[in-house]
Amino acid sequence: MLAGILAGGVVASRLDDGSELIAAIDETPLTRVAEVEASEGAPGRGVFVQLTKTGHLCVWEAPSATSRQRGGGCNSVDDPLNGSALSATLSYDGGPAIADVRSASLFGLAAKDVVRASVLMSDGTLRDIKLKRARAGSDEFQAFGYRFKKGDLRRGIGPTAIVAFDAAGAELGRQPTGIG
Amino acid sequence: MKRAVIGVAAVVALVLASTALAGYQYAPPRQWTPGAGAGSTFSSNWLANNFRTYGSGTDKTVTFIRNTTYGWYNTKRGTSDYLETYAPFDGTYKAHCVSHSYFWGSCNVR
Repeated sequence: MLAGILAGGVVASRLDDGSELIAAIDETPLTRVAEVEASEGAPGRGVFVQLTKTGHLCVWEAPSATSRQRGGGCNSVDDPLNGSALSATLSYDGGPAIADVRSASLFGLAAKDVVRASVLMSDGTLRDIKLKRARAGSDEFQAFGYRFKKGDLRRGIGPTAIVAFDAAGAELGRQPTGIG
Repeated sequence: MKRAVIGVAAVVALVLASTALAGYQYAPPRQWTPGAGAGSTFSSNWLANNFRTYGSGTDKTVTFIRNTTYGWYNTKRGTSDYLETYAPFDGTYKAHCVSHSYFWGSCNVR
């Protein structure tokens, strides 16, 4: 009996290590909400949302809705943007030195009251990101996908933050990021 | 006795199944600080690498590192509670995770 209880405890702890979410990710369909454009030899990618039965909203970048070549992340549906005006994932191949990065992109979701979003680059310039209305379940967001220019990466210029603004230009939220 | 054996076998099967799904926890749950990292063993069979944190807004990176060039592949950096990337199809890689802030979490590869 004791062995059974202990073994059950092991099972319970294993099931709490993310395997339930992983199983839900594998079986739940994805909905395309934005694009990362093909550019300079880098293929285009879709930006997808996924509402799992575990109560997570996941955002992925992938070639297609059924591809296993996907990366991104999940948050609780109760706090899908981490309490911020946006939640973004930086995606890159190569590195970790910025000069060795072959391609880089940024994707994610912003709150519906965000009017403009930009990437703050390491040279101090801002690159505007297109926002596209998206829906995940009953919640409305704005989805985005952005491809970084190879020329910037070659010159060692990379992203340092993504910033959200309101209609008056006031900052609504900022997420630091960076390569390496 | 027979029932007990069957019961234990069922529990062992459940543990093995859940372990296979969850994969290998190369960095067990702990407190992370900016710049801290961890890596798995090298393998040509990894499918995906995840950094699981408890509480949102935690800046972190997951990637795969090739055994020949030590270059980074399919890197993802973000603040999601659960951050995941996939392994390249060719070659031998290790899963690698890096923290950019303070939080509690674990890194896992499958």
